[in-house]
Amino acid sequence: MQTDRDLNSKRRKDRPLQGVRVVDFTWVRAGPWAARWLATLGAEVIKVEWPENLDMLRLNRFTVPPGVEPGPNSTGQFADTNAGKLGITVNVRHPKGLEAIKSLISVSDVVIENFSSRIMQRWGLGYEELRRLRPDVVYVSMAGFGQTGRQHYFGTMGPAAQALSGLTHLSGLPGKPPAGWGWSYLDDTGGMYGAMCALTALRHRNQTGQGQHVDLSQMITGITLTGTSFLDKSVNNRESRREGYPPGNRTVWPGAPVVHNYRGPIAAPHNAYRTLNGGYNDWCVIACLSDEEWANLVDHMGSPAWAKDARFASLSGRLEHQDEMDQGIEEWTSTLGKYDLAEKCQAAGVRAMPVQSSEDRVENDPQLRSRGMFTKVEHAKLGQWKFQSAPFRLDGSPVPVKGPPPMIGEHTANIMIDLLGTEPDDLLKGFNEGVFWPESSEPFDYVQKTLDQPLGQPLDSEATA
Amino acid sequence: MTANGTGNDLAGPLAGLRVLELTGETAQFCGKLMADLGADVIKVEPPGGQETRNIGPFMNDQTHPERSLHFWHYNTSKRGVTLDITTPGGQDVFRKLAATAGLILESYPAGYLPGLGLGYEALSASNPGLIMCSVTPFGQDGPWRDFQTSDLLHLAAGGQMASSGYDPEDVPDAPPIAPGGGNAWHIASHYAYISIMAALYHLDFTGEGQYIDVSVHESCSLTTEGAIAIYLSTGDVVRRHTGRHASPDESPKIQHATNDGGWINTTRSGSNLTTDRIKVLAEWMDTYGLAQDLLDEKYQDPAVVAQSDQHFAAVLRNFFANMPLVEAYEGGQELNFPWGAVRTMGEIMGDPHLDDRDFFVPVEHPELGKEFTYPGPAAIYNGSPWRIYRRAPLIGEHNEEILGGELGLSKTDLEMLKRSGVI
Repeated sequence: MQTDRDLNSKRRKDRPLQGVRVVDFTWVRAGPWAARWLATLGAEVIKVEWPENLDMLRLNRFTVPPGVEPGPNSTGQFADTNAGKLGITVNVRHPKGLEAIKSLISVSDVVIENFSSRIMQRWGLGYEELRRLRPDVVYVSMAGFGQTGRQHYFGTMGPAAQALSGLTHLSGLPGKPPAGWGWSYLDDTGGMYGAMCALTALRHRNQTGQGQHVDLSQMITGITLTGTSFLDKSVNNRESRREGYPPGNRTVWPGAPVVHNYRGPIAAPHNAYRTLNGGYNDWCVIACLSDEEWANLVDHMGSPAWAKDARFASLSGRLEHQDEMDQGIEEWTSTLGKYDLAEKCQAAGVRAMPVQSSEDRVENDPQLRSRGMFTKVEHAKLGQWKFQSAPFRLDGSPVPVKGPPPMIGEHTANIMIDLLGTEPDDLLKGFNEGVFWPESSEPFDYVQKTLDQPLGQPLDSEATA
Repeated sequence: MTANGTGNDLAGPLAGLRVLELTGETAQFCGKLMADLGADVIKVEPPGGQETRNIGPFMNDQTHPERSLHFWHYNTSKRGVTLDITTPGGQDVFRKLAATAGLILESYPAGYLPGLGLGYEALSASNPGLIMCSVTPFGQDGPWRDFQTSDLLHLAAGGQMASSGYDPEDVPDAPPIAPGGGNAWHIASHYAYISIMAALYHLDFTGEGQYIDVSVHESCSLTTEGAIAIYLSTGDVVRRHTGRHASPDESPKIQHATNDGGWINTTRSGSNLTTDRIKVLAEWMDTYGLAQDLLDEKYQDPAVVAQSDQHFAAVLRNFFANMPLVEAYEGGQELNFPWGAVRTMGEIMGDPHLDDRDFFVPVEHPELGKEFTYPGPAAIYNGSPWRIYRRAPLIGEHNEEILGGELGLSKTDLEMLKRSGVI
């Protein structure tokens, strides 16, 4: 006989979101990254696509490995961003396609999308309709400006959202153009918020039985990450466009009026320094957050004469004479490899870390290696491929890398027949009529194969993954 | 009901969850995210207050633990108690408090709380639904576990700096740049929040709590978008560019100066310019007499368009150099170009779109007799509103309310704890 305890211990092997189904209309980066985490946590995420309007990441020319035939299933960037999902192709502009999607939504817990605002409404899939199909549905929309407000129709991609949110202006050297962020920070972070919104609303549903529409804005997400600058303006009326700001990697810029902004004037040294060989990413950062840490650094450098100068004895002196101090430090750091330097500094009680490139993090970072940050999983086109693991460990319901991304349309037949009970004949008809594949092209081989073999094979999402 | 739902009595989505927060910079943002969504977050500070009260900026530049705008922002909606958990008396009170909690969020060095007898095993023994989330620089194990860090150090090791900086023609020999604002802690807090919500979902179906080990370094390392995928695919390491994606190639510039001293960001200009879109853009630019050759028939050939990224960027640069920022940005948006103005807080503060979403939230500071405007939420939860329930707690503000009223310590007990410096 199975006791409750057995049930619980079986349950403990499961991922935490086992049993949650997500209809994933998202594309490019922010939305798919949100649903990627729901999949990793154990939800069955079904990505809805249409071959005539491909997800941009399926076309990313920088991430097709040499020797791999280019195509929508061959990009490394799409792979990691959509790991562990299932994929179907449905034309929602076709009445039969819309009907199929509605029947999928009626057996799903979450609907998530990152289209421009109100596209879903135009398709006849606004929240009112979603709720009619599934009364406790959690609907997360991730438009750039949100669904509410006079400029809801304005569009964003990561960089524009970062600019508008105030984030871009916080990065750079004084008197130079904003350096901004060298990637779509608000696609990564917007994605995290998409997942956070879905998970929060699911928790609320567990407690109350009620679903809801969560109206997330990518651009506004960025503003909430500039909170102290925001209060500096609303409380102190101090603008961030001012002399000596932003101060690069330093806490304050030498010679500029000393202002208590987020970083300073709390620490000097606080900068990036060149290391041995002077290559493009041969840099290390050092930050001394107290006089004691500075004293440790001076000792560790071998107490050079310049560092013993009275000008550097106090924080205010070091802030005032940062240029000379940084020059002295860099003469020393230039003689050491960045890992060696960071490890020896840490042992000497000095905060230092190497500037790590992508290659460094994959190949040279002993911590990420020890913690298993990258996991190899077989991918149909890319072979044994490294996927990024979760940055957290759940000891009761672990979430290892779940599996490869779907090839486009890979699971259409399975989902339609096994989950939604579509008759095999109707499915074939739909493939011929432009419901499940464009009429203008033949389905890819692996899609055709799912139609040629006896239909109705059970779908095991973990096994597929 | 107002746009962000603050005008009604609906509970927030995390109502009913009690959180004990023992964290400063590392994960206080995670606590704020939960508190503003309705969780009862109790900030447990050492007597005298937490060190984050010393982080600027400060109200009117008064360096004072109750005037830190940093502390104000990251601790809204929380209640606060002081407790010295290094003393047996403090540990005793903490155990009682932990028995009433659903989640403990902490960022002490690995091994510190278990060393005090306050680790997950000890605290969950009588509270099996308890979730404990530890957010530390490198996680609970590994060769770098005990390294000391800071926001700057994490952005270096996590890969943010290797992707951010300048084209050589803008700043020759520029260092990698760490974007400002404390985002290593934000990134870690976001993943901590995700892991906690997953554990709550698991709890709802099993009644079982669990221990969560979050690494700031892994969180940051996950947050450089395509850099890792590009390396894994081709072995290329991205190079830093001014105000746009780091990439293996010399991509066209997308951040341009406007004639009023502003900057506009056009995303990656080539990526959304089809022949149709070029025509739309060129006709608009032509009304200013600044379309140059973009109306030429040759740009109706996709093959020519595909090779003209750099040229389009140059024509746009000249166009923007003759336009004020807002006219350029809003004009482009009206034609469906997803462009953004590089804004500062002053420009954001007056944004009517944000006002429509009730983004600007008045928060009372009764002890000062003043009200200040705080930033609102990223998302509107239409069924269970986000709100700022109260300003950040003063030092020990809720000692009596929580330790006395809710935990049932007597007035004498509280007085004893106060005299012995425990609270």
